[in-house]
Amino acid sequence: MATLAGAVLLAQLLLWLAPGDAVDIITGDPELRAAMIAQWGLDQPVLVRYASFVGRAVTGDLGTSLTYRPGVPVAELIGPASARSLALVFGALVASLTWGVGLAYITAGRRSLARRLVQIVSVAPVFLLAWLLMVTLNETTFSLMEAGHISRPTWFALPDEDSALKTSLAVLVLACGSSALTEVHAAAEDALTRIRRSGYVDAARARGAPLWPIVLLNLAPPLSSLAASRAAFFVGGLVIIEKVLHLNGVGAMLWQACRMRDYPLALGITVVAAAAVCGARLAADLLRVTLDPRLRETG
Amino acid sequence: MTPAQSRLLTAGALLALATPAVGAALRYAEDLSPAIVNPLFATTMSEARVNELIFQGLYTDNEELAATPALVESATVNSSRTAMTLTLRRGLTWHDGETLDANDVLFTINAMKNKATLSTEAGRVEWIESVTKVDDYTVELSFGGVEARPEDKLYFKILPEHLFDSTTVSRSDGFRNRPVGSGPYQLVRYNDDNSITFQARGAANIGELTMREISDKNYQAKLLLYESLEALIRVLPRDLAVLQNNRKVELYPYQTNSWWYVGFNMERAPFDEPEVRQAIANMIDVESLLAPVGTGDILSGPFVKSSPFYNHDVQPYGYNYGTASGLLEKAGYAREGDWWVDKKGNPLTVNLNAHQTLESAQEVVINLQSQLQGSGVKVNVDFLDEAAWKSRVWREGEFDVILSQWSFDRNEDIHEQFHSKGSRNFTGYNNENVDELLDAAKSASDPHAKKTALRKAHAIIHDDAPMVFLWTLDSYAAMSTRVSNVLIHPFYFFTYVDDWRLQ
Repeated sequence: MATLAGAVLLAQLLLWLAPGDAVDIITGDPELRAAMIAQWGLDQPVLVRYASFVGRAVTGDLGTSLTYRPGVPVAELIGPASARSLALVFGALVASLTWGVGLAYITAGRRSLARRLVQIVSVAPVFLLAWLLMVTLNETTFSLMEAGHISRPTWFALPDEDSALKTSLAVLVLACGSSALTEVHAAAEDALTRIRRSGYVDAARARGAPLWPIVLLNLAPPLSSLAASRAAFFVGGLVIIEKVLHLNGVGAMLWQACRMRDYPLALGITVVAAAAVCGARLAADLLRVTLDPRLRETG
Repeated sequence: MTPAQSRLLTAGALLALATPAVGAALRYAEDLSPAIVNPLFATTMSEARVNELIFQGLYTDNEELAATPALVESATVNSSRTAMTLTLRRGLTWHDGETLDANDVLFTINAMKNKATLSTEAGRVEWIESVTKVDDYTVELSFGGVEARPEDKLYFKILPEHLFDSTTVSRSDGFRNRPVGSGPYQLVRYNDDNSITFQARGAANIGELTMREISDKNYQAKLLLYESLEALIRVLPRDLAVLQNNRKVELYPYQTNSWWYVGFNMERAPFDEPEVRQAIANMIDVESLLAPVGTGDILSGPFVKSSPFYNHDVQPYGYNYGTASGLLEKAGYAREGDWWVDKKGNPLTVNLNAHQTLESAQEVVINLQSQLQGSGVKVNVDFLDEAAWKSRVWREGEFDVILSQWSFDRNEDIHEQFHSKGSRNFTGYNNENVDELLDAAKSASDPHAKKTALRKAHAIIHDDAPMVFLWTLDSYAAMSTRVSNVLIHPFYFFTYVDDWRLQ
């Protein structure tokens, strides 16, 4: 709760510091401005506004949008958008862990060209990777269509049409871009190398017991911590990926809310994003405590 | 639930069940989906365009851009031109089937005038002192003064009285996303991807229209080429050549009442000195600035060249370093090395602000910076987003020099920009002669007198140089060749959409 309250306070302060306000988006007329400022409570000190938001938020009331969709409850706007964004984050998390661990299983403890390739692909920033993939796919497909080799695919053209391909592309880019895959791969390699060299693996090997359950069991705690930190990273990347690929999730909505100084909406999204990240960390901690008896004893 | 809310719900249900009109769909792109669809609160051009599709005004423009009756059947203005009686067409209905009558006109004007409504469009009816209902289809408007051509100001959209409880309308009223109009299209749904679908009513040839939100302007032309769109409202200059050479795309030039300018904060030194402003005007090579961003007319004053108010006797400022030097020396500056410096040795510096969303502004700003620095004036540049722009420039006057543009409707009323008491006069321009001329133009009953007054104002404003007037850009819409019979309104775009056809 403290983390959530802190995140909202930070967001509130940043929005307050940004030049201009929600009324500036709508009118320059001084009389109209004064009336709207009073109506929306923007004449209140920032900490009073913060306390008021938090007070309502704990009852589940995130307020109503001021400028993005005037009068629409923030929860109503965020609900469907959050579902789309969480699906992206979850997909990216699963993809990066699967690919990262899978590759690490092959490359751990040995020289490998695959490691270099992962580093090269993954080093591209999310926006650049998304843009390049989109343009390449569009241009290639358009050339083939123009030449009469293929008929128009249902997903064409990105980012205009909603399609499974567009969502998959977003997941792929989030999972790989901005060194995401490299970091997961490196962390998994590290953990795998340590586990493989550990005494309990030698003991299991000597007993002739299957190794994979032991490896997986010992890999899960560090991976869960990694997944929690990656989740926070992916939530941050949503703004970019959703803008580039025109996916209407909370990332694109947050960008628009900040641009239009829609304070309740921006704060509402902050609450949801912070809650998602806190939830991921909590789940990771619980998993670690469950799997690692040493943590239970010291805790 | 109030009666108006229940009627709104019924109307929404009726719209949802409406049978789709037969015909293909035309998709057009906007940078940003409308936040609110209610003409009382329109603030963006995308909202104005959607309102043009859904609603009708008492008057509209004909193809020659002259006022022609829309909802009105006949009108008479009294001999003193202080009142007007309007008779509405009979048999008009709202999209929910209710009859459109005098109550709707009364309601709309009173709602706009009602201070509690907080309508951003209230200024459009300020000149109407009162409105009274004569009978179900007749209303009488009384003006606050003499009105030469009141029909030119009766373009505001009429709303259905039966869907509201009172003339105090809230921005958050449910009407905002379930609008009911009487125009050529009705809004049938908001889609998950922020697009909006409209279906034809009445005489419109194209059965369905979809507004797609494509926030990346750079990609809109590509989507037209890919046939993912059928219409682009405005083509970026850099895309013109590509679209012009494509056999599937047709370009439609149209003249807008918009002009670009470099504006000075006249309440701040050194821009309170006319010599400094005029010197800077003489350091700008406008033709070179215009070339990279498109083609257009270079202006000498606050009207487009095709305007009857444009004073063709006044010539634009042009690059003339000799004149600029003389003016700066007169203002107490001296050239020392690379820069012009004042008596205290401080270099003449311009802090230039530009709006982030102004198309092609980056190219103009960079070239402007280069030109001024080449002439010895230091230039610092800062791009501002919408809220920062309006707060710093409009509200707080926290700027030195800005690059921006003004867009006007058919009335080209510059009163708010250049009158000393104008609400948009953020340059702080103050000239008694211009005030008198603008007041005279505003109240003139004779069109010739208005033209004469505004042409005189044009000349004085040019000499005072609160702004360096730059250009009006040639605008082009782009359409798929499948769209035919296209005529575009320079401001509202969709005024003649009824006649468009889509193969």
